[in-house]
Amino acid sequence: MKFLKLEIQFFAHKKGQSSTSNGRDSAGRRLGAKASDGEFVTAGSILYRQRGTKIYPGNNAKRGNDDTIYATVDGIVKFERVGKDKKCASVYPVAE
Amino acid sequence: MITVKVEKKNQIFTSVQILGHAMYDEYGKDIVCSAVSSIVITTVNAILSFDNKSISYLSSQKGLSIKIQKEDRITQTLIRNMIRMLKELETKYKDYILVK
Repeated sequence: MKFLKLEIQFFAHKKGQSSTSNGRDSAGRRLGAKASDGEFVTAGSILYRQRGTKIYPGNNAKRGNDDTIYATVDGIVKFERVGKDKKCASVYPVAE
Repeated sequence: MITVKVEKKNQIFTSVQILGHAMYDEYGKDIVCSAVSSIVITTVNAILSFDNKSISYLSSQKGLSIKIQKEDRITQTLIRNMIRMLKELETKYKDYILVK
């Protein structure tokens, strides 16, 4: 018979033997800006995906029922400051 | 809880089974398990040092099962000492080790 290795936790509950009920997570929702400042967008383009109103709708932009900000006209995107601590996304038509 | 089952025939030890987990603390901090492991492993290796064929053992996830093949004095004395120490451990940690 071989000698036993001195494993001083031989009679311990081995790590990883117990199960856990955690370990689940949902896929990322890919939120955030979908158009950058100064970019030309067409009407209906999504500007910003969000939960709640991190960004408010500015000129020529609207908020969808999932709080998505989208353009209502073709034009250049502008992210602007509103008041002390709010931001909004606006679209300004290009002068012909 | 660790259970130590001792079998004798005509006052001679024939087998010792050390089964289960102490569950005193998490892996790496379980002092009861460490004491039992050290006592048992030291005894087994000491016996094998004297006579490599006087015992055989089976090691598994459940624990350690020792079969005593020969009735020589050294093996019996070392096994008796192991059991005495495990019983002493049981007096202090009776929720975590049982010798029967």
